[in-house]
Amino acid sequence: MIRSVLTDIFLALAVLLVLASCVGLLVMRDVYQRLHYVTPVALIAPLLLGLAVLAQSGWSESSSLTWLALLFMIVAGPFLTHATIRAARIRETGDWRPGHGREDGQSRDAGRAGGRS
Amino acid sequence: MNVFVVAAIAMLAGVIPCGVLACRGTLMDAVVAYETLSAIVVMVLVLLAEGFKRPGEFELPVLLAVLMFGSGLVFVRFLERWL
Repeated sequence: MIRSVLTDIFLALAVLLVLASCVGLLVMRDVYQRLHYVTPVALIAPLLLGLAVLAQSGWSESSSLTWLALLFMIVAGPFLTHATIRAARIRETGDWRPGHGREDGQSRDAGRAGGRS
Repeated sequence: MNVFVVAAIAMLAGVIPCGVLACRGTLMDAVVAYETLSAIVVMVLVLLAEGFKRPGEFELPVLLAVLMFGSGLVFVRFLERWL
């Protein structure tokens, strides 16, 4: 009984977090703001999901493989976010370091929104 | 249909905003949407494998989680340098 309640709670939290983050992703203005909403999806929701599987089936083959998949996500998420921010900065200014690139805000993406080919 | 399958279906609704962003945003926005989408799909595969009680299918999300990291890095590297 307690296990199923815990599973429901963890799953509901994970789903709410994912949906809220997706809405946040859509309504934010630029890529830097949007990247903040990747972290809950890539870090916190997998943790909640792993806890839900653990509460449902205990330590088993299912839960160990679940934690393995989620471990990859949790470890890779920050690296990927950092690389994405770095790429966005380089596309925007030509260099990721402050003071080395052009600071005129002429991004390579300027004028391309909605018109990519 | 148990709670894991319901959660998987509900989580798939998050794919829609990511798809809209990937279609309408800039290239970097599309990459961010792709990264979010990959994370959601890994979780959905875990939920479906657990919901249908098929331990053999847990290998799919493990592989996808590894590939998500590699493909994401390849995308951002190309966008950073050449595209």
